[in-house]
Amino acid sequence: MSRRRSLVAVIAWLVAGSAAAQTPDQRPVRRLEIEAGGGWLAGAGLGSQDANLTANSPVRQPFRLFTTDTRVAGAPALLVRAGFALNRRFGVEGSVTLSRPQLRTSVSGDVEEASALAIVERVDQYFFEGSVVFMLEEWGMGGRTVPFVAGGAGYLRQLHEGLTVVEQGHVYHVGGGLKHWLVARDSGRIRALGLRADARLSLLVKGLSFDSGPRPHPAISGSLFIGF
Amino acid sequence: MRTLVAGAILLLAFSAPAHAYLHFSITVGGRSLDVKWRRSPVRWFAADRGAAGVSAADVQAAVTRAFATWQAVPTASIAFEFVGSTSAEPFDDDGISVLGFQAHPEMERVLGATSFLIDTTSGEIVESDIFFNSAFPWSTAGAGDPARFDLESVAVHEVGHFLGLGHSALGETELRPEGGRRVLASGAVMFPIAFGRGNTLDRELQPDDIAGVSSLYPEIGFRQQTGTVRGQVLRDGVGVLGAHVVAFNPRTGELIGGFTLSRDGEFEIAGLSPGPHVIRVEPLDDAELESFFSARTPVDVAFRVTFHHRLVVAPRGGAGERLTVAVQPK
Repeated sequence: MSRRRSLVAVIAWLVAGSAAAQTPDQRPVRRLEIEAGGGWLAGAGLGSQDANLTANSPVRQPFRLFTTDTRVAGAPALLVRAGFALNRRFGVEGSVTLSRPQLRTSVSGDVEEASALAIVERVDQYFFEGSVVFMLEEWGMGGRTVPFVAGGAGYLRQLHEGLTVVEQGHVYHVGGGLKHWLVARDSGRIRALGLRADARLSLLVKGLSFDSGPRPHPAISGSLFIGF
Repeated sequence: MRTLVAGAILLLAFSAPAHAYLHFSITVGGRSLDVKWRRSPVRWFAADRGAAGVSAADVQAAVTRAFATWQAVPTASIAFEFVGSTSAEPFDDDGISVLGFQAHPEMERVLGATSFLIDTTSGEIVESDIFFNSAFPWSTAGAGDPARFDLESVAVHEVGHFLGLGHSALGETELRPEGGRRVLASGAVMFPIAFGRGNTLDRELQPDDIAGVSSLYPEIGFRQQTGTVRGQVLRDGVGVLGAHVVAFNPRTGELIGGFTLSRDGEFEIAGLSPGPHVIRVEPLDDAELESFFSARTPVDVAFRVTFHHRLVVAPRGGAGERLTVAVQPK
């Protein structure tokens, strides 16, 4: 409890101490920003697949033994991000996002009328991404809050429960959000402090997938950033 | 052996099938040894006569294609060599492997059969013969003949036995009113019941066949690139012998089957594509039990088809966590 009070006090002090000097022009550029936060990664279908035998017919036809339908459920996500503002409009950043969604597979339609079943497995899922961020300065709200758009790509790594099999793929994302500076100054050890809200659409390619198409996963997140 | 309905004839008695798909095995000094060829290429002869509508050259060509089908499996390492035609008969213990027609009208449901001569100290096959029953009408036409059985399809099945593979239970059948069974569908060339006249689909191996031959004659890297699922099937806490266990990979669509081969209900399915699998357990009720096990084996078929309640991950190059599937009595 005391640790939480201390953190709140430090943030309040930083905000109080810098508010008078805070203007958009003092947002640091060519400086490192570190972020940490969390969010929600929505689920997506991974595809349906029939377990087929070959039917006794003159031409090859499937004979369905049973069918499966699999989706990745939505899950909370943790993220850390490091960014670098190249100038007032453009920045680059790299991030790691971790989530542990459930993999839900329904098995039904058995030819011998076995009971339908819902199977659940957990997957450790990591996104390692790089992004380009474009700050929409002209749409800034009072200088302290600036919207942005971002896009990028990265590496997808998924580990099945038991960590025995790794699935790899790619992730592409587009999105945008708002950055709100609580502190912005051009001197001192901590030169910026603020909050960021993101909404994005991530497209997962390969990885854990039962069909070949990309899977869209909407995601939202919030984070606290500190600039040095 | 491939039958119209079901059945099994092996001139040598084997103690028990050893693995999934099944492999034949013998027990030597308490150890189970696969019955397999240990030298490659395996040399074979074609009998110098045909049957009605099929010349000796047709037979040789169809059987050559059947051997080539197995030899082409990229994850298996086995090769064959056609030596020549011979007047020798299949099923004679003469030190050469002969494939050809014989008339067996008394075997009214047997299209073909395979015999072995093995070294009982090592499990090495030293001779294997195949006969195709000339009491049936045969065809080697490229697209098949609706009035005749496709020789190449049956040859692919029998060559599977020639290699040491037993029958697969990946198939669905229905009882005929006049007796016997009609196959509705199969998931392996090594299913014991043939599709029927005119059908040529069994010229092509399926994943279960490929896993079987690759497990018996693994190409370098096969075991490192594939995974294994193992576990136990229990009914009321007691092991189930002879349950058919099928692993389905939702990504690849592959179905690969195995059996519980001990009274403890233990099973192992190797040669799986790495990744998660759905496991389905069913009683062995789509063919005669003697197609898979000896008549003395107390196979349990009195339980309901059951899916395992979790996805089972086959790790690359190893075996995943052991699973236990609890089945319910019928």
